[in-house]
Amino acid sequence: MQSKDEPTSDEFSGRLGLIFATIGAAIGTGNIWRFPRMVGANGGGSFLVPWLIFLFLWSIPLIIAEFALGKRSRTGTVGTFRIFAGKKFAWMGLWTAWISTAIGFYYAVVTGWCINYFQTAIRGGLGSEVDTVQVWNDFLQNWHQVVFFQLIAVVITMAAIWKGAKAIEKVNVTLMVSLFILLFAALFLSFVMDLDDGSLDGFVYMFSIQPGYLSQPETWINGLSQSAWSCSAGMGMAITYSVYMRKDEDTTLNAATMCLANNSISIIAGLTVMMAVFSVSDDPLAAVSGGSSAITFLVLPEVFAQAPGGPVVQLLMVTMFFLALSFAALTSMISTVELCVRNFVDHGIEREKAVGFTTLAIFLFGLPSAGLWILVDSDSGVAFPQFLEVQDHIWGYGLMFSGLFIAYSIWKYGWAQYRAWQDENEITGFNFREYLDNGVSPFRDDFINTGDNDWWIGRWWDYIMYLGFPLMFGVLMLSYFSDLIFNAEHNPWNPTNPDGVMIILLFWGVTAGLFISMNKYILINRVTSRNGSFWPSNWELEPRPLYRNVPKGAEVSIKELPGGIDPFIVEAGETIPETFVNEYGETKTHTLHTQ
Amino acid sequence: MASSNYSSEFRLISNPRRVPAIALLLPLLLSIFAPIALIGPANAQEADNEVSPEDIWSDDYLNQVFPWYGNDKLQFREYHDYFSMKERMQTLADRNSEFISFHEGLVGGVNARGNQMGIDDYEGWFYNHASPWLKITGDVAGGECNVYVGDCGNYADRPDVMLVGNHHAREWMSYEVPMMFIETVVYYYGMAGVDNDGDGLVDEDGWDGIDNDGDCLSLNSSNQDSNGDGVACGPGDLGVDEDFSEQFITDMINTREIYIIPMLNVDGNRYDREEYCGESAWENCRTSGWRKNLRDNTVTGVTPIPDVDEEVDEGCDGVDLNRNFQFEWGAPLGATGPLFPGMCYASGPNNDVYNGPVDTVDQDEDGKLNEDHVDGKDDDADGLIDEDWMGGNSEPETKFIQDLTEMNDDDGDGASEFKVSLTWHSFSELVLWPWGHCTNCYSPDDEYLVYHGQVMGDMTNYAPMQSSDLYPTTGDFCDWHYGVHNSYCYTIEIGNAFHEYPEDIAHTAVRNLGVPFYMIEIADDPRYRAIVGIENTTSSQWLASPDEIHVPKNGDIPIGLCLDTTFPFTTDINRTHLMWRLVEPTRQQDDFGPTEWIAVEWEKSAFVESAATCILLDGSNGTIVEAGIPVPDTSVGKIHYKAMLGTTNGAFPFTYPTLEEGGNYYEISIPYRAGFGSTILSLMMFAFIATMVWGGLGYTLKEMFNDDRDALGLPAEMRTKGDS
Repeated sequence: MQSKDEPTSDEFSGRLGLIFATIGAAIGTGNIWRFPRMVGANGGGSFLVPWLIFLFLWSIPLIIAEFALGKRSRTGTVGTFRIFAGKKFAWMGLWTAWISTAIGFYYAVVTGWCINYFQTAIRGGLGSEVDTVQVWNDFLQNWHQVVFFQLIAVVITMAAIWKGAKAIEKVNVTLMVSLFILLFAALFLSFVMDLDDGSLDGFVYMFSIQPGYLSQPETWINGLSQSAWSCSAGMGMAITYSVYMRKDEDTTLNAATMCLANNSISIIAGLTVMMAVFSVSDDPLAAVSGGSSAITFLVLPEVFAQAPGGPVVQLLMVTMFFLALSFAALTSMISTVELCVRNFVDHGIEREKAVGFTTLAIFLFGLPSAGLWILVDSDSGVAFPQFLEVQDHIWGYGLMFSGLFIAYSIWKYGWAQYRAWQDENEITGFNFREYLDNGVSPFRDDFINTGDNDWWIGRWWDYIMYLGFPLMFGVLMLSYFSDLIFNAEHNPWNPTNPDGVMIILLFWGVTAGLFISMNKYILINRVTSRNGSFWPSNWELEPRPLYRNVPKGAEVSIKELPGGIDPFIVEAGETIPETFVNEYGETKTHTLHTQ
Repeated sequence: MASSNYSSEFRLISNPRRVPAIALLLPLLLSIFAPIALIGPANAQEADNEVSPEDIWSDDYLNQVFPWYGNDKLQFREYHDYFSMKERMQTLADRNSEFISFHEGLVGGVNARGNQMGIDDYEGWFYNHASPWLKITGDVAGGECNVYVGDCGNYADRPDVMLVGNHHAREWMSYEVPMMFIETVVYYYGMAGVDNDGDGLVDEDGWDGIDNDGDCLSLNSSNQDSNGDGVACGPGDLGVDEDFSEQFITDMINTREIYIIPMLNVDGNRYDREEYCGESAWENCRTSGWRKNLRDNTVTGVTPIPDVDEEVDEGCDGVDLNRNFQFEWGAPLGATGPLFPGMCYASGPNNDVYNGPVDTVDQDEDGKLNEDHVDGKDDDADGLIDEDWMGGNSEPETKFIQDLTEMNDDDGDGASEFKVSLTWHSFSELVLWPWGHCTNCYSPDDEYLVYHGQVMGDMTNYAPMQSSDLYPTTGDFCDWHYGVHNSYCYTIEIGNAFHEYPEDIAHTAVRNLGVPFYMIEIADDPRYRAIVGIENTTSSQWLASPDEIHVPKNGDIPIGLCLDTTFPFTTDINRTHLMWRLVEPTRQQDDFGPTEWIAVEWEKSAFVESAATCILLDGSNGTIVEAGIPVPDTSVGKIHYKAMLGTTNGAFPFTYPTLEEGGNYYEISIPYRAGFGSTILSLMMFAFIATMVWGGLGYTLKEMFNDDRDALGLPAEMRTKGDS
């Protein structure tokens, strides 16, 4: 039974809470290990140009859209797409949730690695005399340890989100503030290291534009993908957290703040890594740009172990770095789990249950990534988790589709409003000029520039959503797939090739196919047979209620939305209708209780 | 219901059936199980004391599945026949027209002996097929075209090699080995170094008959003799010579002209398969079968010779092609032949080594017949040598070899281009060289012929010997090629039966694969190759390996090559140069671990003599020549490099790293060597980025807590509206 004293809606205590939670979600290991690697591999300052441009062209506009969607729908991703894109498109929300959760499976393992490296560092296990490859291989090949730390990561995450928004907020504030302090301290030490030899070559490299790189499409594509992944734009995370927004919360300046904060941290982490690596490594570019994510665990401990100032400073530095990394990973983990949990809560499952269940699932389904197919690269002798990398390969780019679905909701709403305007004015036929006037901006007018926003969003946002976004999405996908197909050594069409294109298409296809075909059942609470037969044509379907998390005073109509007219979409605490009309036109009662 | 306990949520079947939110988890299962089924076990980290083949090799290699895949014939589980072999040759030539052309017989014209020849003259007597053959060389459509032979891709500076299989119809392995050679060339030509056996190493075990990387030797003894010949980890066993150098193959194809005739005796082979023994000849004809071609020899004693019935008379018909060549043509010493060549009587003496009819033409038109036999001597002391022969080269098949040899004159010097030639036979596991026609006699090149013969003997674990030490023969392919055309010629006796069991085709072919490549390698100057081989000159020279190379802060990267002071290398850059290429990792190679490099064109740098000295591998003093790799300081990546050496006497190439060292190429990582940029500009860039990102963040934070103002960027007219 639902305990009576629990509030029916949940919200962040204030603006800072929301900001810290979203920043925490956005800042992850991508800022700390992927960003420096990208800077190194794409010509230093040359990379920062596209990276900065796409911050404004992709990340911020998309996050604004997410905030606007979530704040109006007041549900997680499944509910949001059910309301905004219509009943038939609830699977888009499921896809969005699934991508995030699938990434979460192995992200928990990676978080576990970070925590393990922190505890190894603090015990002095990453000193200058240590062979970092040995440490890494020993750890990775010992699945007991990997699973143990994965479990720790999952348990911490579970504890953090158990109680909902207020607790998430508190944990995030603590972790984020600590992260800032740790990173600044590490940055200072790095700066001292790099200056030691009289030149700031790490700094210089990171901020020098090499024109040659700017003319390479790969630099731009990497800049775009880094910007998109790093801010978690399109992941649905902002949708989820905006569910807990207070009624008059701003959706625009918050988005900008979150993305700018994310990029600020990237610069700090990038500088820290670059300056440290350049000060000690003979071949700094190879060190920062080569190889997979494992490099972080191999090169950086070695670099930090050579910091000036003796063993204490070295210990301090490596410990701080991995603690910061762990915090960054944990806050992202929290948002990942919350994203999944929110969807269960929306559909009437108690929060504690959903949290327990989701974290258990994330732990169990992360196990293969933790322990399966740990191979050793024959060239370098470095162990790498093949299963995890295959998962990453498959789901990493699925994120881009989530972004596309968000854009689709916006286009659809605009189109519906254009139709409504036509009806109102008794106009028939399509007129492009009229569409531009009446069909392009409604989303922005109705959900973004609501009057609560601190930053008025102009027409530029429409341009980005209607023109820029499809273009960027297309280019990104095209380049990614052509790279997979034409640069593959092994047959990319062989589904057993873990680096191939077929394995991706297969998994995407099966997942999307499953979700689309299951779409009906996402909306269904219960199936009873009309006559005892198990055959689907005899099934009687009882609708699934969607409980919106609407804080007091924030009630806004959703009736004008494609999926808004639905008696079973109610605010948490509201009564659902006693009866419903089924597909045969019969009036039925149902088994649901008001939550 | 909302409080229903957890387990009931899972009970889908229970009534009422609730479709739970948990159904959303189906894809989770998908994520976990599907890849397991798809990718299969990849766990190579089992700490087992007993190393099993599965631990080391890929499944394909383990099961001797060749990477070109295809049906049982292409996988050497089943014999080709003439038709399927020809079809495959055509297919491969069509698909790889840049380095293979397909031919049948010769176009014809006036041959080197002044005879008018047509395509018909090279077709077998009975079934009327001309022998199919391939010309293999880089840019086979370029170079000079030869109207008589019908091929293009003739280059004066590329040595020619003739590889001939199936002189004798029943020796089926003798065309399967050439087919294996062809498949191998086609598959691996132009490839970057690949890991043939899936053990993670590249080009670690080339053709020499030794398990260089010790993978076979690391197995327990029950797995060490996979071909069952009683020799553990010997040639033909899995793990021996399994990962040869693709670069070597490519270099060889690009610097040689290869003429490969897998099945010379098509007539005889069809007869053996279709009539004499049958399709499964290994069951009834394992060590017997039809040997000769299908010349119609029958003389009934009543009708004039020859008779005209087209049925093959198994007692009489046919010529042993490997006794029909013109050098010292005649009855085998100590063996039998027909009393009247070309005739056969019902009970008369004919045999498997019948060498063809006696010549009845007075070639020099001096009125005397057959007075100067082909033996390199002026038998009749008239100042002309070998001008009126007794017989030989009477068959379409031997005429084809004769005219291909004599009409293929790339450099127009009148001498045969074929400096080496090879013919496959079976069986007995032997490597044979001239002479065959005399016993206790030695050719002028004996020392060198022995040297190469021993190398190939080691490669296959076949016994090397002079041909006549086995038994004397006259008019065989090698005596003619060596005796008349001064070509280093070898005969390989493959295996242990004329018709081997089908399951033995693959491993037997693999065992013999290195030999043709060796022959091709020494084709530039087999004599000189033997000299440097005997003296160990070239294998004591060395190219600086990656750890010996100092990459300078800027400018060219110098690569040293330590040479014997007497080594006659040429300074011609086309022959002596450092081959190198810069490869940069692609995003895939960056993100998803090691993958093979995509082919990048090789560049050439000349070697320049320097005063520096070095120590050769045999301990003596050498001299260093140096080549610079001109990569810009801003380049980052890996450089592949290898040295190619030519000598002033025309031998080319000697490659470094040598085949003993893998025959591949060295790889060195090149760091970014240029400056990282200007301090001033980078400070400006930093200021800009910091202003945009950090400044932007500060600004938004400030605005966020400033409640006094309207939304940022609110248009003026809307602001007024809001106020009113």
